[in-house]
Amino acid sequence: MSIELIKLIPWIPLLGAALCGICCMKPALRKLAGPISVISIFIPFLITLGVYSAAKNLTGDDRIQTIYSWMGVNGLQINMGYLVDPLTMIMLFVVTGMGTLIATYAMGYMKGERGYARFFMGVSLFIFAMTTLVMADNLVLLYLGWEGVGLCSYLLIGYYYDKDWAVAAAKKAFIVNRIGDLGFALGIFLTYMTYDTVSLSVVVEKASAFLTDPHYHASAADLWIPFLLMLGAFGKSAQIPLYVWLPDAMAGPTPVSALIHAATMVTAGVYMIARLIPVFELSPYALPTVATIGSVTALMSGTIALCQYDLKKVFAYSTVSQLGYMFLGVGVLSTYGGVFHLFTHAFFKALLFLTAGSVMHALAGQLDLRAMSGLRHKMPVTCWLMFAGCLALAGFPFTAGFYSKDTILAAAMGKGIGDHGSWLFFILALMGLFTAFLTAFYTFRLWFRVFMGPEHFEMGDEHHGEDDGHGDDHGHHAHEPHEMPWWPMNVPLVVLAAGALFAGVIFNGWMSDSIENSTAKPIAVQATSHAVVQPEYQIITVANEEADKGTHAEAATADQDEHHDSLHTMMMIISSIIAIAGIAMAWYFHLANRPLTDKIAKQFGVVVEVLYNKYYVDEIYDATIVKPLRFAGYAFEFFDEWVINNIVFTIGFVPKLAGWSVKPMQSGKLQGYGLGMVLGVAIAALLVFMWAF
Amino acid sequence: MPLTEIDSLTLSHFLLTGAVLFCLGLIGFISRRNLIIMFLCTEMMFQGVAISLIAFSRFHMNDTGQTFVIFVLTIAAAEAALALGLVVLLFRRKHTLDALVWSKLKDV
Amino acid sequence: MEQYLEAALYIVSVLGALALSLMMPRGRSGVGKIGPLIGVAALGGLWLFLCSSGLWGDRETGLSTPAFIYYYVFSGIAIFSAVRVITHTKPVYAALWFVMVVLASCGLFLVLSAQFMAFAVVIIYGGAILVTYMFVIMLATQSTPDGHSGQIYDRVAKDPVMASAAGFLLLAVLLSVAFDYDQIKDIRMDAAKRQSDAALIESTLGNRPLAEQAVYKMNEAGEAVKVDAPEPPANLDPTRLANAERVGLDLFMSHPLGLELAGVILLISLIGAIVIAKKKVPDEGAVISR
Repeated sequence: MSIELIKLIPWIPLLGAALCGICCMKPALRKLAGPISVISIFIPFLITLGVYSAAKNLTGDDRIQTIYSWMGVNGLQINMGYLVDPLTMIMLFVVTGMGTLIATYAMGYMKGERGYARFFMGVSLFIFAMTTLVMADNLVLLYLGWEGVGLCSYLLIGYYYDKDWAVAAAKKAFIVNRIGDLGFALGIFLTYMTYDTVSLSVVVEKASAFLTDPHYHASAADLWIPFLLMLGAFGKSAQIPLYVWLPDAMAGPTPVSALIHAATMVTAGVYMIARLIPVFELSPYALPTVATIGSVTALMSGTIALCQYDLKKVFAYSTVSQLGYMFLGVGVLSTYGGVFHLFTHAFFKALLFLTAGSVMHALAGQLDLRAMSGLRHKMPVTCWLMFAGCLALAGFPFTAGFYSKDTILAAAMGKGIGDHGSWLFFILALMGLFTAFLTAFYTFRLWFRVFMGPEHFEMGDEHHGEDDGHGDDHGHHAHEPHEMPWWPMNVPLVVLAAGALFAGVIFNGWMSDSIENSTAKPIAVQATSHAVVQPEYQIITVANEEADKGTHAEAATADQDEHHDSLHTMMMIISSIIAIAGIAMAWYFHLANRPLTDKIAKQFGVVVEVLYNKYYVDEIYDATIVKPLRFAGYAFEFFDEWVINNIVFTIGFVPKLAGWSVKPMQSGKLQGYGLGMVLGVAIAALLVFMWAF
Repeated sequence: MPLTEIDSLTLSHFLLTGAVLFCLGLIGFISRRNLIIMFLCTEMMFQGVAISLIAFSRFHMNDTGQTFVIFVLTIAAAEAALALGLVVLLFRRKHTLDALVWSKLKDV
Repeated sequence: MEQYLEAALYIVSVLGALALSLMMPRGRSGVGKIGPLIGVAALGGLWLFLCSSGLWGDRETGLSTPAFIYYYVFSGIAIFSAVRVITHTKPVYAALWFVMVVLASCGLFLVLSAQFMAFAVVIIYGGAILVTYMFVIMLATQSTPDGHSGQIYDRVAKDPVMASAAGFLLLAVLLSVAFDYDQIKDIRMDAAKRQSDAALIESTLGNRPLAEQAVYKMNEAGEAVKVDAPEPPANLDPTRLANAERVGLDLFMSHPLGLELAGVILLISLIGAIVIAKKKVPDEGAVISR
């Protein structure tokens, strides 16, 4: 297939969104919105598949596919152009593939909802923005997509716009993202000032040249750009300190949570850092910061997830935690690990969210873990699908999550130990391992609680799908949980489950090749890349200072490879043990011996309370940021009301006064006009004669 | 007759009279409300102008000033004819000569 | 001296404005007492100042003593009458006072040796135009409201103070120009500037048969009998032109186009007046003025 077709990818979902918008207006057409949306996402997927073989071999300027010149101002040239490299292709596969599967699921899930067409319009629009984001060949177009996904996220979180909590969550997500986006925008400006261009490929090329130039001294801008861009990434990808919006974003419909807030949008920050990795490498503090933040976020949200009872909240914190892993990955220069985890995470987290959605659907909106137990008989398919997802998330050996998480942890540990190891990365790696244990524990805590044990459930109070009386298979769910239909809901889940279990094995080599050929390849790796191929598994050699200076020898490299190889094998074993231990502990505490758990929880009541309340972060933010800002707002309002207003009124009063003062001139009375004329003549004569004589 | 310093008349004397007549006519035009008197006042302004013109004519030893007075008279006559015709018309319409009644164009 | 004159002009203007605004009709009868007093004082002061002013001492610029007296008499009458025109509450009297203005200014014309214009203005203004005004005043007379001696719009002036101020501001400006010594000292009756009558006669009236004017008289039989021309008056100089002759020559020789235009304007106004007078207008009923 012609590579030119790739230019169509973002526009087909946009067309789909427009068609869905038309469907919104005509009640008779509303049922068409779902299929239209799915098709408009599936076609780009097919295009991605079709052009893949052509696209992956592109090099240099061939990678840039320009549609038209968007804007050009005196040296600043911004094109509506796409950068097609393997990283883009990975992201396109994720976005369009996940989009297709989740939209298909949503056709069933959203059936009978009031805003059916509106929902699919938002989804299609989101895919447009997201594909634009991942395909953009310059920072400004990337920013367009970035804001576009933010908008769609806002619209879809606020899908139940008549509910206060949904509106509040939508606003929270939007505002928190604005804080990050401000940093991102400033980063773009600074990038333009420093590199004199916003083109991604040129920026990456220049930054790489700086990196390999031993005489180059990093400027202040080089130090600042990564931190500003990082802020945007942290906002979009929900990292400390801007993660607070993501758990609340679960107010949207579950497919939205799966698509936007687990699989695609929230990974945009990881994508951005991976894409601009040489720029981040220029600053010696940027990537350690990214890694630290990622790791701390992973640990913190992992602990919060331990004590949440809301099904979707657990997965939300789990998402934050896994995103932390990805940042740890890119932070230790393993963009391969970060993007690989992004890829596998998309499968299993989407699967988990959608199965959680199925449970929620079956229980009429019930999300509380304490109100459900032993559902495996009622929903066997969902049960085992979620089991697959849980295994992957827990990092059970040879599932997708296992490979990607291990890549990251091995890379972190590789930087942490050895001759040139840093204690920081060692600690981060240990935190990652501990988080892996927590992940396995809370994941299976949830699964054992929901599907195992004695059968017990309480129905929620939602009655969607009943009002219009369609679908007999939905009609009775208010009384009894039931299995979801195979089409359109469970079939996509099976695909996702297969991905969650086997994507790690299948795509491992492909992934490393792809990253190797893309701009996301860390520069220091370039020098040693020839030695790191393994039969089914491959690691990227992490950068070290010697490599940076270009003084390493072949032998040293070989030693290092061997060293890392053994390290990696060790890490695989350790993390397998940790995952299995976590699962076993979950089994013990949440299936075998539930009363004991409650007793322990009571004894550590304070800890549980703190974790249940998410470390009171929302409250702290409220007290330290929201309240002062609100007070400042009141103060400014007062100032505006009394000072600015009065000034404005006074200024406005001047023309009024002028009008009032000359109003008698328009009396319509002959004498008035005569008087004016005489005065005018007299004054004119006065002026003329005074000047003349 | 011997001229003394005190009794010589100059152009300025006549210009003064003309200007006073002109300005009095102007004031009358502005302040009087009776349409007929307003037009009388314009005639008075013509008189002031005529005095000035004739004084110029005399002091410049040039007869064109007097010729211009003929034109002024012509205009005054034409104006009187038309203006009085209009006054009669307006009077027939509202039965009043008050100029303030005719203020339909004013801003309300 | 000049700066005193300047200041005097402004003081006089202010006084005049004050006087006139006091005299303007305000719903009472008469013009009061203070206003005329101030006005007379203002005018008198100005004239005294003019008389005593050394500014006008250049002998060759002025007229003779009788002219001096006539000027003050006619000028005083004209100004007084003008004041009465604009202050009188009865339109008929205002028109009559205007006749006085015309007559007095015609006296000034005579002082300025413009005899033709003096009589023309008396005939046209004092006769024709003022009679038209009188007719219109008669035509447009309303029954006066009971208890009052005239219409409200005649008895109450509009904004007299403002009008006086504006008018006298203009007057002050005009006078300060008119009395600007530097500007007018060169304006004098210089006979040399004048085109001589002889030359005019030579160029335009060369065939005037002055000497052979024949005079015919009718005898008892009804026949015309040529008699000897009487001796022309001793002061009649055949080489000099009368004022009317000079004006006529100037009018026809120098301003033929203006003359034609004046004729056209008169014709148009004649037609216009007829058209206006014939026009039927809706009667909107009496409007009560306030």
